[in-house]
This record gives sequence, C-alpha cells and structure tokens, in this order.
Amino acid sequence: MREWKVPKTASRGYAIAPLFVVKHVEVTASERKISQEEIDSEIARFEAAVAKAQDELLELAAQNEIFAGHYALAGDIAIYDGVTGKVKNDLVNAELALMQTRDEYVAVFESMEDEYMRERAADMKDVSKRLLYALKGIEDNAFAAMKEKSIIAAKDLAPSDTAKMNMELVAGFITEEGGVTSHVSIIAKNLGIPCLVGAGPMLSDVKTGETAVLDTDKGVLYVDPDEALVKEYEVKIEELRRRDEEMERLSSLPCETQDGHAFSICANVGNVVDIKNALKYNIDGVGLFRSEFLYMENDHFPTEEEQFAAYKEAAELMAGKELTIRTLDIGGDKGLDYYEFPKEENPFLGYRAIRMCLDQTDMFKTQLRALLRASAFGYIRIMYPMMISVEELQAANALLEECKAELRAEGTSFDEKIQVGIMVETPAAVMMADEFAELVDFFSIGTNDLTQYVLAVDRGNQKISERYNSFHPAVLRAIAHTIAAAHRHGAKAGMCGEFAGDEKASALLMGMGLDEFSMSANSTPVVKYQLRGASYEEMQKLAGEVLKQSTVAGVMALLEK
Amino acid sequence: MVQGTITVNNKSGLHLRPASELAKIAGKLRSEITIVAGEKRVNPKSVLILMSAGITKGTTIDIICEGETEEADLKVMMDAIASGLGEGE
Repeated sequence: MREWKVPKTASRGYAIAPLFVVKHVEVTASERKISQEEIDSEIARFEAAVAKAQDELLELAAQNEIFAGHYALAGDIAIYDGVTGKVKNDLVNAELALMQTRDEYVAVFESMEDEYMRERAADMKDVSKRLLYALKGIEDNAFAAMKEKSIIAAKDLAPSDTAKMNMELVAGFITEEGGVTSHVSIIAKNLGIPCLVGAGPMLSDVKTGETAVLDTDKGVLYVDPDEALVKEYEVKIEELRRRDEEMERLSSLPCETQDGHAFSICANVGNVVDIKNALKYNIDGVGLFRSEFLYMENDHFPTEEEQFAAYKEAAELMAGKELTIRTLDIGGDKGLDYYEFPKEENPFLGYRAIRMCLDQTDMFKTQLRALLRASAFGYIRIMYPMMISVEELQAANALLEECKAELRAEGTSFDEKIQVGIMVETPAAVMMADEFAELVDFFSIGTNDLTQYVLAVDRGNQKISERYNSFHPAVLRAIAHTIAAAHRHGAKAGMCGEFAGDEKASALLMGMGLDEFSMSANSTPVVKYQLRGASYEEMQKLAGEVLKQSTVAGVMALLEK
Repeated sequence: MVQGTITVNNKSGLHLRPASELAKIAGKLRSEITIVAGEKRVNPKSVLILMSAGITKGTTIDIICEGETEEADLKVMMDAIASGLGEGE
C-alpha cells in the first residue's frame, strides 16, 4: 500500500475505485520554417483552425459557461496578432507561432499575484491545445477508454477534459496541480464528487486499474490498499450515504426536538436566486432577506416600482411562508457606486444602516412603501438593522405609519397586521432588550456584528482574529439575555448570524430558548438533524451550565463533550 | 481624444468572463481605445491583454478613446463597466 498526503480538499466525500490515470500525450508542434510564399496559406490555415475551435466551443458553451470565455479567447486579437505576426516576421509555421504565443501569455499569467489569475494560465493552455489539435486535424478523447467507475488521476483537468467525461463513471478526482478554485474543483463541488487537488508529482508512480481509496477528510490517497482499509472505508461510505438519506428524509419532517419542543429553521438570502435555492431545503421561511442587493446591483437608488417588483416576486416564491426583509443596511464596509459615503475614521461606528435611513427619509420611505405594497402578496416581516435606541425605533415606526396612511389614502392594499422587528446587534440593543421587546413582534440576533461590538474586536483584522469568538461568555450572555427579554414580552427571538448555523452552537442556542434559526441554506439540514436528535430539557441544562462559565475554554469543554 | 475615469466594481475584477464581455463590447467600437491602469496601458479589444493587466475590484482606471465616434464610444465603455459586466455585487 502506498499513500499520498494532499493538503487541498476541493470537494468532500470518500471513494473506493480503480484509478484511471490520464497521461497527457503532449502533441508537439511540428516546427518548420516557411517561405515568403507560404505566409498567406499558413495564416489561412490558422484562421480555419480558429473557426473550427470556435464552432466546438460554441456548442460546449451551451452546457458550461466557462467555454463562453474560451470562445472569446480562441478568437482573441492578441492571439491572432501574436500568431500572424510570427508567421510573417519569423517565417515559422502556424503551430510553432501558436506555441510561442501561448508560452508568452502563460508566463504572464503564472507570474501574477492573484491565485485566480494564475490559474487562468490553464485556460490559455486549454484553448491553445484546442487550436493546435484543430491545426493538426486531431480528434482526441482520452476518456473514451474509461469503462468502469473510477478515480481520475491527472496532472490537471481542463474544462475541455471534463466536458468529455461520463460523470456517472467518476468516483473521485485527484490532480497534481490546481487549487480549490480551479475548474475541476468547481465541477467536483457542484456534482458532489470527492476531489483532492495540488497533490504534487505522482502520476508516474500510479497505474490505471490499481485500486485506490480517496479520503478528502484526511486529505489522503491510498493506492493498492489492504483489505482492512477497504473494509473501513466501505463502512464510512455507507455511513455517509445513510446520513445523506437521513437528511433527505428529514427535510419533510417537522422541526421539533425529541421531547416535542418546536423550533423553526430559516434561510438567509441575498436575492431571488438564493430564495429559489433555499426553498429546495424545505425551510420554514426566510429569516433574513438582505435588501442591499437591490441597491448594490443598481446604478441609482432603486425606485419604489423596482423594489416593489423584487419584494413581490420574493413573497410569491415563498408562497405564504415567512419572509423577513431587512431594510437597507449599507455603509460600514458596504458602499454604493452612485452614492459617496463620507470618509470616516470608524465606518463600523459611523453613518450606516438605520442611521442613514433615518437621515435620508425620502429614500427610506420609498423602501417602506415598496415593502408594504408587496406585503399584500405574502407573509412579509419588516426588520430594522443596527438599532441602538428606542427613539430610533419610534422614528422608524412613525415613518412606517406615514407610509401606511398614504397607501390607505391611495386605496392601495397591504398587510395591515405586518410584523415589525429589529436586529439585535449592538450592546445598546441588548441592554435595552426589555424595552425594545415591548414595542416589536420579533428580534433577530445578528451575531456577526454583535460579537464585534460586544468584544470591541474588528472582525476584519487578521492580527486579532483569534479574539473574535462568538463563544466568548460575554457574547453568550448577551444572546441569552436578549432571548429571555423577548419572551418576557411575548416577542419571538430569532438569530440570523453565522452562529445560528454553527454545529457546535445549535444545542446551546436551543437550550437558551431561541425560536428561529436562520442561516445559509446549505447549513440547514445539519442543524435540523442535530436539534431533532436532542431533548429540549437536556439542552436547557446544557445552556444553564454554559452560561455559568467564565472562559471560552470552559464553554468549549462543555459543548465538545 | 476623450478620457474618462471609473472604478471597476464587479466582484471579481476583470476576470475571464467580465473581460470577455468588455472585449466583445470594445471590439464593436470604431475608436482606438486604451485602458490605463496604474503603469499599464492595455487594449481592451483583447481579452488576454485585459486579463493580463490584472485589474481587480476597486481599481480605478482611465479609458481613452480616439476616433470619429470617440464621445459615444467612451460612454459605451463607461456604461459597460459601471453595469458590472454581467456580474453585479
């Protein structure tokens, strides 16, 4: 048995299958000097090759948009000028001119700092190869020989390679080169095929047909494994398959703990496409719809009609399920192309979110009117971000009432019982949680900002990043206090920060009494699975113990038990 | 000759797809066009050259157009970049 340790996991899972080793036969350019008379025919040959390559790429682009980029590259004037220039000036054939042009640009890309850009050298190589094959009239498909389910081992895999594979026969991937944003990584992740990349030189030490085990958790490829290891992985694969099945089955089951305490699982979304994706997970609702995208994707402040159309579409997609829309939360680290925010020393403590909305009331009322009008088409809840005082809430609600009065006067319908809530993400909102809870229908705890404000730790600062920790007892106590205050006044307590989807935190939060967990859609099955498998009474006890802790270490010791 | 200044704001900068989009648009214009990013001066009619300039999100670039239709062409280029080249924030 031999093994290779591979540091980069592109897509998770295990595989046991024979290897299929892709040996790239380098088609070399037949170098040849040409005569003056041949220049025109050589250029014509190259133009024909470009046309052939573009025909192929146009067809491939229908399945995968990467090829739309390749289509543009194949016809690029820089390649054309490079090749035709060399043919004319150096009197070399088109193949050689192409290879020289390729090498020039590959060198440029490979020297770039940005990893994404370095990996684009692969696009240049892939396109050049296609052009070279077209010049030489070669058809190639290395994967035609793959007949059984295999782990593919290759130097790297370009879009034109994966396009030729029968994906049903691919058990896993391992590549010598490439990073987690390379083409094969993206394909593998999309299709849920386990994949390791950046393995380093290994192809000369493995053979097609040798049995291999791919473990993306540990980052290891075992070749020619012993029987015990194969058995071990057969069990692991079976467990993973059962867990996936359980998740699938789970999505239709109610959200309640073993002892029958209900909770709700919602998704955080940024636009309508996200909602469509989130609905596949059978969520109870959307706990956070970031309205910023409407403002950030536009070149002007979106009009009432534009916003109304977007909110209405979202509400209709949700078909009666909860849709909590957060009013504009911009400023801080989020800017707009068409609006100049004042330069500030401390943008996170500056002119942002509700502060800006209460200052520019016309813009805010445009959004509130659009939200109200859309509420006639579904179950919309309005949520204000960054609240620090009851005065702010009163001011925002006064504007909301103005908008309602206007709409009534115009005879426009809206949900008269529309619920209003606030994000609890500042220490001030936590301290005043009782007073706020009397005035709102719900809280949603925004743990990303709350953690940074409670701890006074900038979450973007690498130097102090280990101090940014939502398991800090101060943050946990702030959360517990907020939930308890909500319940004292009959308001619902939700959470829409990253913390809500943290596998280690879910039992603790449930034990504190959290009603609604809102997170990125792909985290929802795991949290639901965990909470359904636990008892509320036990989780309450756990929360009680955790809240007594004075250190992060003490907290983690209890949660990791 | 006319010149405009704009900040590239689509999320991945001028990577393959947005660069292809921009090159396609620039390729249809009749002006001689140059994009100036720092010390680099590049021809936006080529995807390759555009990408090799490594223009990332937040880079401020100058666009120079020269030719009979320069005014209109500059506007087309500015609008295309402002629109995010097919990928918004």
